[in-house]
Amino acid sequence: MVNLTIDGRPASVPEGTTIVLAAATAGIALTTNVGCMGQGVCGACRALVRRTGEPEVRTALACETPVEDGMQVSFLDRVAPRRPHAYSETDLVDGWTAYERVLAVFPEAVRCRHCSGCDRACPKGLEVQKGVNLAASGDIAGAAAVFDLCVMCNLCVAACPEHIAPNHLGLFARRLAAAGTQRPADLIRRLHEITSGAMTIDADACTDKQP
Amino acid sequence: MAPEMTTNLVLTAPEHRVGADLDAWLSGSGGLGLRLALETPSGLISLMEAAGLRGLGGAGFPTFRKWAAAAAEPDPEKVVVCNGNEDEPGTFKDVFLLRETPHQVIEGALIAGLAIRARRVVLYVNPHARGAFDAVAKAVAQWQEHPLLAAVGAAVGGPLRLEAMRSPGLYIGGEETAVVSAVEGGFPFPRRKPPFPAASGVGGHPTVINNVETLATVSHIVRHGAAWYRGLGRNGAAGTKLFSLSGDVQRPGLYELPMGTPLSELIFVHGGGMLLGKEFKAVFTGGPSNTLLTRDELDVPMDFESVRARGSRLGTGAMIVVSEGTSIVRKVAEYVNFFAAGSCGQCPPCKTGSYQLAHLLQRIDTGLATRADLDAVEHLCDLLPGSGRCGLIDGAVTVVASSLQRFRSEYEGQLAGG
Ligand SMILES: Cc1cc2nc3c(=O)[nH]c(=O)nc-3n(C[C@H](O)[C@H](O)[C@H](O)COP(=O)(O)O)c2cc1C
Ligand code: SF4
Ligand code: SF4
Ligand code: FES
Repeated sequence: MVNLTIDGRPASVPEGTTIVLAAATAGIALTTNVGCMGQGVCGACRALVRRTGEPEVRTALACETPVEDGMQVSFLDRVAPRRPHAYSETDLVDGWTAYERVLAVFPEAVRCRHCSGCDRACPKGLEVQKGVNLAASGDIAGAAAVFDLCVMCNLCVAACPEHIAPNHLGLFARRLAAAGTQRPADLIRRLHEITSGAMTIDADACTDKQP
Repeated sequence: MAPEMTTNLVLTAPEHRVGADLDAWLSGSGGLGLRLALETPSGLISLMEAAGLRGLGGAGFPTFRKWAAAAAEPDPEKVVVCNGNEDEPGTFKDVFLLRETPHQVIEGALIAGLAIRARRVVLYVNPHARGAFDAVAKAVAQWQEHPLLAAVGAAVGGPLRLEAMRSPGLYIGGEETAVVSAVEGGFPFPRRKPPFPAASGVGGHPTVINNVETLATVSHIVRHGAAWYRGLGRNGAAGTKLFSLSGDVQRPGLYELPMGTPLSELIFVHGGGMLLGKEFKAVFTGGPSNTLLTRDELDVPMDFESVRARGSRLGTGAMIVVSEGTSIVRKVAEYVNFFAAGSCGQCPPCKTGSYQLAHLLQRIDTGLATRADLDAVEHLCDLLPGSGRCGLIDGAVTVVASSLQRFRSEYEGQLAGG
């Protein structure tokens, strides 16, 4: 068995268990710090982790992190950005104004002080700071690529001293990039057939009668 | 005891408060310490050791050790930085010295420069401290043409650059390695130690960083000797200390008292006691990055050793007095918020952990928390110390942990369901 401490409670679980499962076993009510339960995609299980014998305290997604003997874990609340980032879909379609939109919606982005806190905080190992700096200098496609695997855990929101909300900036960049991307030709043609009535869809159709 | 008998002893004595007027400073006792130091620069470090001068910026580190470490380095481009960043809640002593008696501070910094053979002396001043930077800049300009500065330059083996510089005015900008980053022209990011600045500081050169109050004391020690300085204190402690007294007292303000003066005397004699109808509850020592002192500690002599013996720290000498009826949880939450906002961001456990502490404390304060939240607070107090590059996160934890130790029932009483 592996013994660890989670938010001050002792837990004793078999080797190979993840921290989230260990917390559930220890009777900790996971009301806010779990979502996808082990897929590592929802970003809810933010935690600070110190391993035995290590002075460092690292950030991690608890559902992706196997327990270790003597581990200390503190779950972290979701830190929301200071204010909502409001933009409409129509803002996204014009590539000529995309950079202006970035600067208007995320004015803090140009103030990055290059502390690298976001890079260290990101449990997915993304180059967050680079993504921020790319977006802030107008390379929106580049920023979108950096944030491609972001799960919006918001750890970089909590980490950023300049309140840039890096992941939300990343999401904006991804949306801008997606809006500027041509959809596959066959998909576009088929959607046109449907909306023009050239093709009818039987919503009640069962599998053997697929259109 | 009449308070006026024992306050404003040395650094804040009326005759030294001549402002940025070099002629006025030198026509009094000013300049004598520097002239003496020029005669025997090699004896300065042992003099500081004999006097028992300790860093008055918060840590109480023996000044002679820093100086000796830097002096031992062969690098000819050594630096002295006078740390006037002062930006903590409740501390307002350095701003007073810089504004009212800048030449006293500069003279001390020049003596430090002599002691380590520095070629650059920087007065690093918080631009938000009203009047301080202007006074220092004016005072520094007055020194530029003065033969005494040239004499110091000759003694250290080359011209000595004396300059005033605006600090970034952020709390973190006062941490010593952050000072190094800022003087180099960058954002005040603290750096890992070692190397300590005395070995490798500004531009890689050995750098002595001392607090304003520490340096202001130096010329007096040179002038009057180690025994005189030791004799100023009470209870075996050396020298005087500036106490920034604030909170629910009749006469908040800045008091220069013998080191070792009991806390009760500061509050009830000099401070005139509690505000009418208020009852003493506790003191946040400071800036609030240290432990709380309670009724049981009112008799503690305020010197580094005695306060430490009670499990707290003298810190900068800030004493924020709170009365019964003040919520300790709320006060602590406010301070933790201050630290969280001031964290520079380099170390995720410092930034995210201090915010998490602040969240939990707020939840407790508003009566929404359960026992599990209190457990989580205690666990963070265990987890976070040592997780940052600098002492900021440890300071934040210290306030929380000590308030929990001394006022646990107040925390528990706030939990939902009792
Ligand atoms: C977060 C933090 C902030 C600090 N701020 C200041 C400050 O504003 N002024 C200061 O003199 N020392 C400050 N210090 C202490 C310095 O690191 C350093 O110990 C001090 O300037 C040394 O001077 P002394 O030995 O004369 O006290 C701070 C320390 C920490 C950890
Ligand atoms: S945490 Fe914020 S300020 Fe620091 S590097 Fe990342 S985006 Fe820049
Ligand atoms: S401990 Fe906090 S304030 Fe100090 S360097 Fe790290 S993040 Fe910055
Ligand atoms: S529970 Fe969803 S990422 Fe961990």
